[in-house]
Order: sequence, then structure tokens, then C-alpha cells
Amino acid sequence: MTLSSLERLGAAAAEADEAFQMDEDTFRVFYERTSRPVWAYLSRATGDPRQADDLLQETYYRFLRATATPADEAHRRNYLFRIATNLVHDTRRHARLEAVQLQDGFEPADPRHGDTAAGAARRVDLARAMARLKPRERDLLWLAYAQGSSHKEIADALGLKTASIKLLLFRARRRLATFMGGGAR
Amino acid sequence: MKPTMVECPRESEVFEAVAFDRVHDVRDHLAECAICAEIADVAGALRAEHAAACREAHVPSAGAVWWRATVRARAEAAQTVSKPITILQGVAGACGVGLAVAVASLVWRSLHFFDSAAGFVARLEERRDEIATASALIVQHGVPIVLALAACFVLAPVALYFALADE
Repeated sequence: MTLSSLERLGAAAAEADEAFQMDEDTFRVFYERTSRPVWAYLSRATGDPRQADDLLQETYYRFLRATATPADEAHRRNYLFRIATNLVHDTRRHARLEAVQLQDGFEPADPRHGDTAAGAARRVDLARAMARLKPRERDLLWLAYAQGSSHKEIADALGLKTASIKLLLFRARRRLATFMGGGAR
Repeated sequence: MKPTMVECPRESEVFEAVAFDRVHDVRDHLAECAICAEIADVAGALRAEHAAACREAHVPSAGAVWWRATVRARAEAAQTVSKPITILQGVAGACGVGLAVAVASLVWRSLHFFDSAAGFVARLEERRDEIATASALIVQHGVPIVLALAACFVLAPVALYFALADE
């Protein structure tokens, strides 16, 4: 490696640090708050915890390199989930994951980790019911009820109109409740 | 058939109760409202799944994610910087090859010209001395041209290889 190559790499390193939208300390705090929910979303949306690991890294990388600088924590979180959602959509497109998911199902996390038998059974029921939904319905329900996102945030993340979220969410919820066995109520 | 949307004005209140583990606050309402009972069921199950997934998530440390992102950003930045240089090197290589071909075609035409000249000289034997001088000239200037051409043909692929190969 020549001196000019080293100089070039040094300049590139400086550029790389400058290219991130936040410094390391701010990132650490933000990551500690958001990484687990993002991983949970990726894991449930893809149905593959290992893929969620890869997508988690990619999500934060794209977040750090993004030119847009969300003003506050809520916007940053929302932006992060939008990136994660786009990645999940790309993955589905590339790997034809939707067909695979119907076979493998919406994988629940390992129920041996301290859950009661009833809790574990409930999670398996939920997993089976979620596996019967369309990917977009899963995303909608997860963002709305697991993540607690507002309709606007869901619309931003999924690329839908805010006005349509209420109806889509209602239909998805109805279907999930039916599949969970509570639809007759 | 798609279900007709039915709403309850207390939906958000029910969801908040589920989210903050205060379902007992809305228990009476849940008993009489099927919509809100459904929301409580679905939201409760998903919140529980979310909590369990977050507990069980084995995410890498923030430092590791930051470090990987930095390494990747550096690599991409270096690649971006070197791309124009690589393109220029490729163009230079292509120009070299083009020049070599042009020179080769010129030499080829010159050789044909000198062939004709040789025939002409044979017919004009009385000008043998001049012909001898011209032949000496060809030998004198032809050798460096041929050497230059050979060098171009050998060096151009090597230059192209270094120009287009990834570092």
C-alpha cells in the first residue's frame, strides 16, 4: 500500500465519521433504547431471528448514513422503523419470503424462557394466527399494538395513507381475532 | 366479504389500559363492548409477545454496531474516492491500445508503400543507389517502431489489469 493510498484511506475514515448523522455517544444511548424493539419487529416480520440479526445491523447503518436528520427522539424512532420496514419488504421481495412464512409460520420466541405453560401456549396460538395473515397485516398489527405507533407513524413506516390505516387495522385485527379463536365474541 | 368497520369511542382508552397494564380499569366496558374486547385480546397478546421478544433478543452491543458501521462507511468512502481514478486509468489504457493500433496500421501502410517502391526501384535499376539508401532508412526507423509496438501490446493488458482490478 502506497503513502497516497494511506492518505486516501485516512481521508475516507474522516469522511465516514462525518457522514454519520449522530456522534457515537448519542448513538449508544439511542441504540440502547431502540435495538430490542427493532430486533423484535424484524424477527417477527421476517419470521427468522438470524435474518433479524443481519437486518438490525443494516437498519442502523442506513439510519446513521441517512441524510435526513429527524428532530426528536420520536421522529428518530419512527424513521428507524421505516428503514426496518423497507428492509423487510426488500427481503420479502428478494427471497420470496412470504411463501416460506406461510409454511414456517410467525415464529414465537423460545417459550422456555421463563414463561408459564399457559403463556407459552398463548404465544404459539398467536404465532399460528399471525402466520395466516398477510405480511402487511402483520406489520400493521405489530406496529400498532406491539409497538404502540400512531396511525401517522404506521402510515409513514409502511408507505400508506394515514386515512386508510384505521380501516386496514380494523380488518387486520378482525382477521387475527378470528384466527386466534376470539372472532365469535 | 370484507367486514364493515365498527368503532367504539373508547378504543384508544382500552388500548392505553392494555399498554400500561391497567385492564381492570376498563373491565366493565370490555364485558359489554365486543369491539374493545377484541382490541384488548389482540393488543394484549401482541404486547406480551413484544415484551417476551425484547427480553429474549440477543442484540449486539452498541459499540459493535457502531464499529461495523464505521468500517463499512470507510470502505465505501475509499471505494467512492478510488472510482474516478480507476475509470481514468481504464481510459488511459484504452487510449494506449488505440494508439498502438493506429501506429500499427500506419506501419502496415508504409510497408505496402515500400513494397511498391521496391518494385519500382527494380524497374529503374539505374537508381539502385537511391534504393539502397531508402532501404537503410527503413531498417533504421522500422526497428524502433516495431519495438515500441511490441511494448505497447505487452504493457497495455498489464496496465488494464492494474487499472480495473479491485484493490
